[in-house]
Amino acid sequence: MIRVPIARRAVAVAAGLVVLLLAAGVATLTLGRLGLSLADLTSWPPTGKSKFVLERLRGPRLVVAAGVGAALGLSGALFQNVTRNPLGSPDVIGLSTGAGAGAAIAALLFPGVVPTPAGALAGAVAAMALVYFSTGTGFRHPGRLIVAGIGVYAIGTAIIQYVVYAVERDKASVLTAYVNGSLNTRSWEQAATIWVVLLAVVPFVMLLSRRLTMSELGDELAAGLGAEPQRTRVAAVVLAIVLSAGAVAVAGPISFIALTAPQIARRLTRLPGPHLTLSALTGALLLVLADLAAQQAPIPVSLPVGIYTLALGGLYLGYLLIREWKKGTL
Amino acid sequence: MKIATRNLTISYGGAPVVGDLTLDIPEGEFTMIIGPNGCGKSTLVKALGRVLKPDSGTVELDGRDLWSYRGREAARKVALLPQNPVAPEGITVSGLVRRGRYPHHTLLRQWSRDDEGAIAAALERTGLSELADAQAGQLSGGQRQRAWIAMVLAQQTGLLLLDEPTTFLDISHQYELLELCRDLHDEGRTIVAVLHDLNQAARFATHLIVMNGGTVVAQGPPSRIVTTELVRDVFGLACDVLPDPRTATPMVVPHAGRVATAP
Repeated sequence: MIRVPIARRAVAVAAGLVVLLLAAGVATLTLGRLGLSLADLTSWPPTGKSKFVLERLRGPRLVVAAGVGAALGLSGALFQNVTRNPLGSPDVIGLSTGAGAGAAIAALLFPGVVPTPAGALAGAVAAMALVYFSTGTGFRHPGRLIVAGIGVYAIGTAIIQYVVYAVERDKASVLTAYVNGSLNTRSWEQAATIWVVLLAVVPFVMLLSRRLTMSELGDELAAGLGAEPQRTRVAAVVLAIVLSAGAVAVAGPISFIALTAPQIARRLTRLPGPHLTLSALTGALLLVLADLAAQQAPIPVSLPVGIYTLALGGLYLGYLLIREWKKGTL
Repeated sequence: MKIATRNLTISYGGAPVVGDLTLDIPEGEFTMIIGPNGCGKSTLVKALGRVLKPDSGTVELDGRDLWSYRGREAARKVALLPQNPVAPEGITVSGLVRRGRYPHHTLLRQWSRDDEGAIAAALERTGLSELADAQAGQLSGGQRQRAWIAMVLAQQTGLLLLDEPTTFLDISHQYELLELCRDLHDEGRTIVAVLHDLNQAARFATHLIVMNGGTVVAQGPPSRIVTTELVRDVFGLACDVLPDPRTATPMVVPHAGRVATAP
């Protein structure tokens, strides 16, 4: 019997995450004023109220949340592998905001001319080019990466605010959606966008995963073992940018899912490795839970989900900054 | 397994660190490279291990340009253990050693009996079988360095390149590691190691390469080339060279320090 070295613990954690994700999905559809009963959920085809809730209201929103969360988690895992630091995440270094600015320009200034995902991708690429060249050391030094990221984040936010103000002067909800990210009133079209991006990118990530595992050993060892670390890095950054841009195109620059999901996955398994699958599952679970909170919170206005992830993720970022500073990696 | 350099030049964007070097690494020997800091010895080993790309000239492996091989193909022939490697968080000893099997895997052939055999043999060879499931981060310095050696052994190459393998080890573990390297050489491997300690190099190497200023200034069996003049010219150190009372290999005794006087 050949003992294939797949850690049982990783499989168990993955199964647990899937169960939780399904539970969170059921909760999203059943809780609250317009919630469906379990009987509604199991009767097929849906009719009346449950048809409306499933097809128009919460169904697409849930599918978008899971897809966006998975894309952000995967993108974070790729970036943290490349930078070899938890702080080297797309949301910390301005990638999401750059994509958000691109999406805002495409959707609001050139509606119908430039597709939103294309705008998001262009914004993401521009933001990463700015970060890459302004650090002077590429993506290598986490401290510089964060400082450059703050600058790019500020530029991106300024562009979003300008564009939204110029076009939608009176709509605060539009502004928060573009600055913080939102899942309110998502459509099946957006669900299709993010899942097509995921399905297109995931096979490449799978092809890359063994090399990413080797990259964790550092450039010299990885090169000595024939894992071509430089090419791996470029490929990982490209895939991460596409994933983030796809997520931002359909939900805005939702913060801190990409930062936290890979770290949670790492702590759950206590194993080495890029944790690609687990980061994607964790990201999906986090965002579905955050959106569940956004929908069911006992406050009169329904705040966009990005505000919730921003508040919780900000605390986590503070904790990470202190920890990394103490370790001397900043 | 023949590895050699032909007019190899490497510069990190400035003055060349290794300049126009043509060198044959003798097959089947335990070669040690010594020389003062910045003489290019680490750079040379990295070039031989396909980590640094030459600015001009070539590294030839079995008569072919090393960079014309695919990464994994080269890594099945040459293994490199760099200076001060860092283990990923949470990895076990056997997990670390398993990474040495990467060059033997392809898209379709990911894991096999060969891998298990190679890992078990590498752990056995380095005396780590009992610690296979231990966390790499919790090993002592000597054990950790043996775990890294086990990883490159699992790579099953004919040539091992070790960049300062004894740095950060206390003296007993330095000798333990050098004896392990000597045994690995006795089993038929070609080994190239960068070392700082002249006396250790003279004791264990079967072939010595002395570098200075990015080029090779002397090479041959230690007993022939380690002389007072060489140490003075290369390291700028006044010394006597005596036969080592235990192994009869050359032993460098520096002149520096006060002569002890009877109390």
